[in-house]
Amino acid sequence: MPGRGSVALVDVNCFYASAERAFDPSLEGRPLVVLSNNDGCAVTRSPEAKALGISLGEPWFKLAPRAKEWGLVARSSNYELYGDISARVMELLGRYSAWLEVYSIDEAFLGVNGTPEELQRLGHTMKTAVRRNVGVPVCVGIAGTKTLAKLANKWAKHNPAFDGVCHWDAVPAARREKLMAGLSVVELWGVAARLTKRLNAQNIHTVLDLARADPIKIRDRFSVVLMRTVLELNGTPCIPLEEERIGRDQLIFSRSFATPITTGAGVRQVLGIYAQQASARLARHRLQAKLLTAFAATSFYNPQDNSYPTVYVPLPMPTADPVLLARAAYALLPRIDDGVKYVRAGIMVTDLRPTGNQAPLAIFENPHEERGIGPLLEDVSRRYGRGSIGLGFAGIRGGPDWSMKRDMLSPRYTTHWAELPVVKAA
Amino acid sequence: MGVIIGPRVIDAGTSLLSVLISPVPVAAGYPSPAQDYFDGRIDLNEHLIKDITSTYVVRVSGDSMERAGISDGDELIVNRALEPRDGCVVVAVLDGELTVKRLRITASGVVLQADNPRYPDIRVPALSDLVIWGVATRCLHHV
Repeated sequence: MPGRGSVALVDVNCFYASAERAFDPSLEGRPLVVLSNNDGCAVTRSPEAKALGISLGEPWFKLAPRAKEWGLVARSSNYELYGDISARVMELLGRYSAWLEVYSIDEAFLGVNGTPEELQRLGHTMKTAVRRNVGVPVCVGIAGTKTLAKLANKWAKHNPAFDGVCHWDAVPAARREKLMAGLSVVELWGVAARLTKRLNAQNIHTVLDLARADPIKIRDRFSVVLMRTVLELNGTPCIPLEEERIGRDQLIFSRSFATPITTGAGVRQVLGIYAQQASARLARHRLQAKLLTAFAATSFYNPQDNSYPTVYVPLPMPTADPVLLARAAYALLPRIDDGVKYVRAGIMVTDLRPTGNQAPLAIFENPHEERGIGPLLEDVSRRYGRGSIGLGFAGIRGGPDWSMKRDMLSPRYTTHWAELPVVKAA
Repeated sequence: MGVIIGPRVIDAGTSLLSVLISPVPVAAGYPSPAQDYFDGRIDLNEHLIKDITSTYVVRVSGDSMERAGISDGDELIVNRALEPRDGCVVVAVLDGELTVKRLRITASGVVLQADNPRYPDIRVPALSDLVIWGVATRCLHHV
């Protein structure tokens, strides 16, 4: 993270419900809940569902009898859809910062630089871009620390006056204190509910109480973790962005350049370095990648000449081989224009899987004999559960071994050819 | 060099558009003279998709766009990030449904047309009165 940088927390509003609405506009404005595994209970509620007084975790069997009367719609968790929408959001956000930490399926921390005005503009730019490109609404909180960025994000979400973007430092101190005084300390990111009693015993009830507590005393009576929260509330960053985070399924190597790169040769060099880093990291975690994305980007502060060439390169087989990765990354080079100022470049390897047991460099072996479809299916089944995969139609949705109940499942609009969204020509 | 197209395992989280078929080299008796020249096959994603974050594939139901070469059952590639302009084929939200129409922006107002006189035009004063879901860039017509 650069010297006096800021942190932006971007998260999707009511993520699962918003993903459903992106492809089914008839759900717009209606109370909607998305149910947990086996259609157990409500895990996401649209604002209209919240307004009905439906609480998080309310079991569906209790809601179902009244659904008709309320006009309440329920959907089973469509993980295929949410996974793809999430990946699109993260990829898009990655274009705005070289420091992207995917924190969960619907939120990411970004390292950003600029004045409060610039950063608010950036926040609105990102919000508009995600809504327009992917189709889901986000809120953005920006501050000097992760803890405050979380708080700013929460504020942006609940107070319409912010229009979805809140920069902590752009809000007058008196208003910030009023907000913190009105928030119970357990609503703070990183404060466990079990601490409430002990904090209350120290006369710490609100976020403001905690912000004004003596960090050393907090460390001694509670923990270093809570001391960090106190410091972060006062603007001292203690929780760094995790630049290289093994997400569920991806590794990103990307940096901003101090001086823009303006030649293909320069970009080639950068890509080569990242490919080697990716290779090393993959090998250390005993993983191989199947897809490589290479990208470069011009500065977003310069909207006239914006370009972000990107290539997606399917690797001929899962690999961690630096030569193969570098060669794949070089597919970006024909898209690089000499003279254009690139301030950022990077590679992302996705579709990661554990390295097999056979010897490496078996590039010219028939992978289907060597690796065997059987063990592969076994791997996937172990990872996603029995019945999640099978040859031909076996095991696909509704197969005999598929025990998860998803009766109200929407189509897998973006990942299955047979389930594409339907547009009416009438 | 023999090339076989292998069965692909498609992860639940993998985007439709990122799943590509790649050629896999197979052990052969002698090296092929073409081996060093193989640079990868034509990748439709590369040519048909400008921005992977904003591009979706949708399927057409109905015959109102026949004259535009868009038939019942065809797939459209739709880019949400493009600005809708006069003459574009767009996916618009009408009565809670995704609907494909041709967009006309004129001095007297905005019109959503079917390319088939049997279907009436939809007229609104301004573009902001419509919800445009995306702009179709290609039709995958079944011949």
